[in-house]
Amino acid sequence: MIEEPYRWVEAIANRREYIEHQLASGSPITALTYRDGILLFTLGRERQKLFEIYDRIGLGGIGHPGDIERLRMAAIEVASTEGFTRSAHDVSLRRLANYSLSPALKAAFEQVYGPPYLARMLFAELGRNGAPNLFLRLDYDGSIHTNGGAFGRAHEEFGVIAGTAPATAQMELFLREKHAARRPLEDALAVAVDAWTIGHLALAGEPNDAPPPAEKIATHRDEQLALTSIEAAVLETASPIPMTWRMLPDREIRPLLEKRLS
Amino acid sequence: MVPSTLRADGLTAPDSGDFAALLRRRGHSPDRQAGAAFAGTSAHASFIETHATTILAFKYADGVLVAGDRRATAGNVLVYDRADKVLEIDQHSLMAIAGVPATAWEMARVLEHSFQFYRRSQLAEMSLEGKVRALSKLLRDNLGAVLQGIGVVVPIFATYDHAGATARLYFYDAMGAQFEAADSAATGSGSPAVRSILHYENTWGKKPLAKLKEPDAVVLALRALDTAAESDTATGGVDRRGRIYPIVKLITKTGVTTLAEKQLARMFKTQVA
Repeated sequence: MIEEPYRWVEAIANRREYIEHQLASGSPITALTYRDGILLFTLGRERQKLFEIYDRIGLGGIGHPGDIERLRMAAIEVASTEGFTRSAHDVSLRRLANYSLSPALKAAFEQVYGPPYLARMLFAELGRNGAPNLFLRLDYDGSIHTNGGAFGRAHEEFGVIAGTAPATAQMELFLREKHAARRPLEDALAVAVDAWTIGHLALAGEPNDAPPPAEKIATHRDEQLALTSIEAAVLETASPIPMTWRMLPDREIRPLLEKRLS
Repeated sequence: MVPSTLRADGLTAPDSGDFAALLRRRGHSPDRQAGAAFAGTSAHASFIETHATTILAFKYADGVLVAGDRRATAGNVLVYDRADKVLEIDQHSLMAIAGVPATAWEMARVLEHSFQFYRRSQLAEMSLEGKVRALSKLLRDNLGAVLQGIGVVVPIFATYDHAGATARLYFYDAMGAQFEAADSAATGSGSPAVRSILHYENTWGKKPLAKLKEPDAVVLALRALDTAAESDTATGGVDRRGRIYPIVKLITKTGVTTLAEKQLARMFKTQVA
């Protein structure tokens, strides 16, 4: 049946709808530049969503745990092999996403008799020697969205993913307005938790809702903070060793965040 | 390059977390390449010096000290006088090498990447026993090159055991057998002299090695290496004109530290020379 072009397009559209539905409840993830590097942030109840990929690359993923796991392993394998056979300086997120992951995702998505990946990923790469940080969203169909800086689009110091496109758009809108790159960790945490809250509210709302008012954000944020644990990690510029990744345990940053919010 | 994990078979490879296996799968395995290139060279390879160096390690009051001379030789030719044979594998582990440099440095590189790959992929630090075994396995995989006479490596591995709050020291033979050293280990052509000195100091010295404070431990290491260089041509002593000093590294509970050349020069001047 899908030998006919129209059927194929229809099958792809159905598949897209199915995957979007599966991803729709995904808890938002934010990555943003702060004074000492990059902060990756989300709230959750169960499984780990933020991962180290290489010395200067981190990953946040939503979707099916099995698919995230395979893509995470693939990314680590490609980066580690490159880092070993050439050097750690040759490992780049741009190449990893464009040449390895994206084609594999696209192929799996469009081969309609095989299973697609139920995954949406946010990668962050700490720039070397003052080069700008790269935030890259990689979707189940292999499409890539970056934080710009080329082709006339202004460079942004953040990247987000969420279960739905409206949630993503609202988070981006908020961060464009409120996020400043040169602030200390507690400020970045405060902005990240609000961005998360906005994304989380938008998941339950209608597509064309206006951004929620500040009081609503604060109430929802405090409710959710009480129910969930904070998952955060940083890629630190000043790390004395080549590895820059560090997980920030809830008990370490919750007091910091609460103090900043009160 | 589509990563092998993303092929349609679905299941993660059973060797997940094993970096050496990943390299083999991708055709980057160093032992395979070396084996193919040098098959059948054993008859001609005997000229390559295999153990020409001196490496020593002993436990002292704060952890473990690992030191090595800087000379690299091939037969009676001095190839390089600034070789670093004490290599950092991770923040708490050192591998010191005696043997064929190409193989040894490659081994250290594989080991370093193995620990990192394991941590990233398995989301946990490799256990101490796992790390010690990983080096043993690399040595065993290298057996072909050893038998051909071209790739002998005899390393020392030192690390800090956070669970037991103590430093641990291991030495290996060329086939991969691992031995845990109670207080000291030495390898390379200059090691007989060093082993004698360390044994003497530990048994009849003012203090056993494990009680030595850092400065005394460093002075002892420098004196021992200088003694080895006195009778072994393959061990580089201190090059006073070139200001080349041995490499001395320490592992304590806070991690690995490398002694600065200036500090070594001062100690050498006042207490060794």
